[in-house]
Amino acid sequence: MKMGKIVAVHSYKGGTGKTLFSVNLAATFAKHGKKVCLFDLDFRAPSLFAILKTENAPCWLNDYLNGNCGINKVLVDLSSQLQGNGNFFAALANPSTEAIRDMSAKDRKWEMRALGRLLSLRNTLLSDQKFDYLVFDTSPGLQYSSINAIVAADFVVVATTGDRSDVNGTRRMLRELYNLFEKKTGLVINKVLDPTSKSKKDEMDTRVKDLYQVPMLGLVPCFCEILRAEGNLIFVQDKPNHPFTKILDEMAKKIDANEVN
Amino acid sequence: MNNTRGKPVTREEILSKKPLHILEKIRENLERLNEKMEVMIELQKHGRKDAQPLPDTPLDVMTLLSMPDHLRKTAMTICRCGRATANEVSQQTSRARAVESAYLNQLVIMGYLKKERKGRKAYFYADRDSQG
Repeated sequence: MKMGKIVAVHSYKGGTGKTLFSVNLAATFAKHGKKVCLFDLDFRAPSLFAILKTENAPCWLNDYLNGNCGINKVLVDLSSQLQGNGNFFAALANPSTEAIRDMSAKDRKWEMRALGRLLSLRNTLLSDQKFDYLVFDTSPGLQYSSINAIVAADFVVVATTGDRSDVNGTRRMLRELYNLFEKKTGLVINKVLDPTSKSKKDEMDTRVKDLYQVPMLGLVPCFCEILRAEGNLIFVQDKPNHPFTKILDEMAKKIDANEVN
Repeated sequence: MNNTRGKPVTREEILSKKPLHILEKIRENLERLNEKMEVMIELQKHGRKDAQPLPDTPLDVMTLLSMPDHLRKTAMTICRCGRATANEVSQQTSRARAVESAYLNQLVIMGYLKKERKGRKAYFYADRDSQG
């Protein structure tokens, strides 16, 4: 039987669309009938509780990483919010200022234990509870929690934009972090202007491979509808015929079939 | 001579058990000696500076990043498995068991891993539970 996968979504800079991508990728997997859990590992700026409109878990992900509870106390079942026969769970980060301060002050020994607890999700959720995908939404840049997530993941999606400051940093990060950990990586170029023609897509594909030396997972055009939604929609769920939903469908299928080369 | 149940133990029985016990001890000592030699060979190959222990440095991601490539691969495998023998690590890394044994022992000397013997097997693990 096929073993589930951990997918981490990361970027060098903030504002590249990591959370939008994580939520919609996890929802797409669930729409495809998979059992999925979305993790908010952005402990400095938690946001999934607001996007998913839920704060009902008996424990936060912070409590699990602190060793104060098991992972099942953290999971919130949101399957009823989605169409299809998949299962959609979320593990939320505590958004209180006190919790953010507490997570920012952790020492290296704690971070080592946190890595152990993230790695043990492979046994508890993927092996024992038969989850197909765990999607980690991370903090941007070289934060401890993000590097832990990358080390624990099977596949890392790096979200980037055409912005010059992002391009240079992303290149360095891929070379000096991802290469060292030998991580399978796919790049998502977000907020691309006019990517509709096949020749433009091919040109971007070649340019990305030259520039970053990693395969491209896909291009996401700049959609005004996404901005207008102001984070109120799970786009792939609420707009099933929108081009963004179709792009996410393709990306999820590529990850599922191990076709990111 | 009697055994614990009062049944007499023959001279042949004593002679057949003792050499086995001694041989087992010799084998264990040879294995330990072998591991030490493997570490010394690796230290010579890669230079001694790789193996300088840093007091109280946990095996966290920043430590993994600063390690030489050959040790990072071994340390990452232990992080993923939690606890493993040199043989189990070598199956994951596709490197020779003797090579992994040397790297693992080097990581023990550096203070990043702990080693525990159970019978004939030596298990390596990162000590995540100690306080500090």
